Amino acid sequence: MRVLVIVPAYNEERNLPGVLRALHEHAPFADVCVVDDGSSDATAEVAASHGATVLQAPINLGIGGAMQTGYLWAQRRGYDAAVQIDGDGQHDPRFIPAALAPLRDGVADVVIGSRFLGEDAGGFRSTAARRAGIRYLCWLLRLTNGVRVTDPTSGFRATGRAAIALYAKSYPSDYPEPEAIAVAQRSGLRVVEVPVRMAAREHGESSIGTLGALYYFVKVSLSILLLPGAP
Amino acid sequence: MIPFRLQVAGVVVLLALLLWVLWLVRTGRVSLRESLSWVLSTVAAIVFTIHPELLAALAHALQIEVASNALFALAILYVLWNLMTLTIATSVNARKIRRLTQECAMLRAELEEQRAARSQSQPSPTGESS
Ligand SMILES: Nc1nc2c(ncn2[C@@H]2O[C@H](COP(=O)(O)OP(=O)(O)OP(=O)(O)O)[C@@H](O)[C@H]2O)c(=O)[nH]1
Repeated sequence: MRVLVIVPAYNEERNLPGVLRALHEHAPFADVCVVDDGSSDATAEVAASHGATVLQAPINLGIGGAMQTGYLWAQRRGYDAAVQIDGDGQHDPRFIPAALAPLRDGVADVVIGSRFLGEDAGGFRSTAARRAGIRYLCWLLRLTNGVRVTDPTSGFRATGRAAIALYAKSYPSDYPEPEAIAVAQRSGLRVVEVPVRMAAREHGESSIGTLGALYYFVKVSLSILLLPGAP
Repeated sequence: MIPFRLQVAGVVVLLALLLWVLWLVRTGRVSLRESLSWVLSTVAAIVFTIHPELLAALAHALQIEVASNALFALAILYVLWNLMTLTIATSVNARKIRRLTQECAMLRAELEEQRAARSQSQPSPTGESS
């Protein structure tokens, strides 16, 4: 199984080396591509010096457009599976084999790494306000799409060929994670979760502030509610 | 119903707008496609200005008491319609630009790959200059 790890990175020169080293150590079988769209720091150079393929876009695409670039690349290069890992060090590449297992067994098309699954409670689980938001999203996804997930905002995902093709064609923009689940479900793909541990971000700020949270809430709700049915 | 001079002024302004749009299309600064909504809605506005009784009929049909209010309503519709067309056009453009940008990123990566492969097969830089 040829695996491509897609790492979206926007001004992540400080976090990226650790992520790429960990990838090399825990997922040596996978090719790594870093999507850098308009970082003002040395993200691209850092990525290249660690042997990753750099997909460098001249203008900022947002996280959705950046992820889609990775999926387009995976499709073009004929990878069997793609794994999304944040470039900020929140995700542990140790869990990549576990995330790939359901794809390999042919029981899933999209695998989400959930920090809320498994007995091994611990690691980073975000703030109370965010957890409330996450519960709301779970409820919304179950209501509108009948899909049961515990961690809809997780950016740790593994996808098989069918999902790569789907996401290369249509991947949501702005805050894409919950909507991407709905998109997959509507297209008849199977979504499952595996337990993972996450860490708090090492350097720099998360992109979502208080006002951003409101926009997030409205945007993600609307996009899920307005999503057209299966093609 | 509309004073004659006001009517003339209205038609003149609308005609000027129409000619301007057509001229922009002719000189290639606005595509015909994007201009269509302006052309159609401006022609409609001219028809209403020349035949205000159409407006009165419309106002009557919609039970608007003062015909000029129907005019305002129409004017707002005119602006909204053209704004909406613009919004659609920008969204379409944004999607196309995103796709192009992604293509750029991938082509760049392929180019880097080719370069790296070539510099490996020709390790000595002097081999290139000879
Ligand atoms: N290429 C690219 N990467 C981005 C962009 N925005 C965010 N990222 C990357 O996406 C990953 C996650 O983004 P964050 O903003 O840290 O997400 P977060 O707000 O911490 O959200 P959580 O991960 O759910 O806590 C990081 O690796 C970022 O570098 C973007 O516009 N382009």
